[in-house]
Amino acid sequence: MGDNTWVLAVNLVIWTGLFLYLLRLGSQIRKLEQDEGRE
Amino acid sequence: MKKLLAWILWLWIALMIVGAFAWAPLAQDFIGESSRILFFHVPMAWTAFVGFMAAGVWSARYLWFGRNVRHDQAAHTAVSLGLVFCVLATVSGAMWAKVMWGEYWNWDPRQLSIVMAMLFYMAYLTLRSAVADPQTGRRLAAAYALLGLAVAPFLFFVLPRMSGFTLHPEPVLNQSGKIEVEERMLTVLIAGAVGFTALFFWVHNLGRRLLSLSERAAARPIAGES
Repeated sequence: MGDNTWVLAVNLVIWTGLFLYLLRLGSQIRKLEQDEGRE
Repeated sequence: MKKLLAWILWLWIALMIVGAFAWAPLAQDFIGESSRILFFHVPMAWTAFVGFMAAGVWSARYLWFGRNVRHDQAAHTAVSLGLVFCVLATVSGAMWAKVMWGEYWNWDPRQLSIVMAMLFYMAYLTLRSAVADPQTGRRLAAAYALLGLAVAPFLFFVLPRMSGFTLHPEPVLNQSGKIEVEERMLTVLIAGAVGFTALFFWVHNLGRRLLSLSERAAARPIAGES
């Protein structure tokens, strides 16, 4: 493993960042849909 | 519940990444650690294919089941996302080719066929934007994506095998119809394909809803205009 550890860590950080972004995007879209429903 | 599923997907792909770098062995006859790129490259190409096929299915639903705009939006989003996965597969493949074959681009049949697939689906997006009347545009794009149901399998699976020559290693399902990949490598590849496919449908759902919101916003009259 050794040399791969930092590549593995970078990949996990990128994936976690993308995942959190998608969660946030999902909640923002839901909010926009609710706002539109109320109009 | 949806959030729980999302976290399960996070864990799934995180485990797949750990598997790719720390659990699966290196492939024989590959230079250095380069075979690990394939744990991402192959599932990405697979997901692009799934996206293009899904676009064809949604287009068929649009054409034959009530011209529901949601189906057209789903097809549009699937093509856009499929192209993203296609680009990722091509770039990761080129990185691997540089290590193994010395050049990023080698005119290999598989490299050519994936670029042809990209051009085919870029033309879909061009077609959509080139037609002024939205309804005609939707109909034409749906017919084009339907054609993709035949074109995508041909470009992804048939054409690369037809040439008889390729620099690529044996595909997961080899020429004799058998899977002869080491067990742990196969597990990571399948986990990657499943994880990326699930990620595709999650992002697709977000993308389609976003497209729907923006189309509705564009259709609304601007305040103050009569």
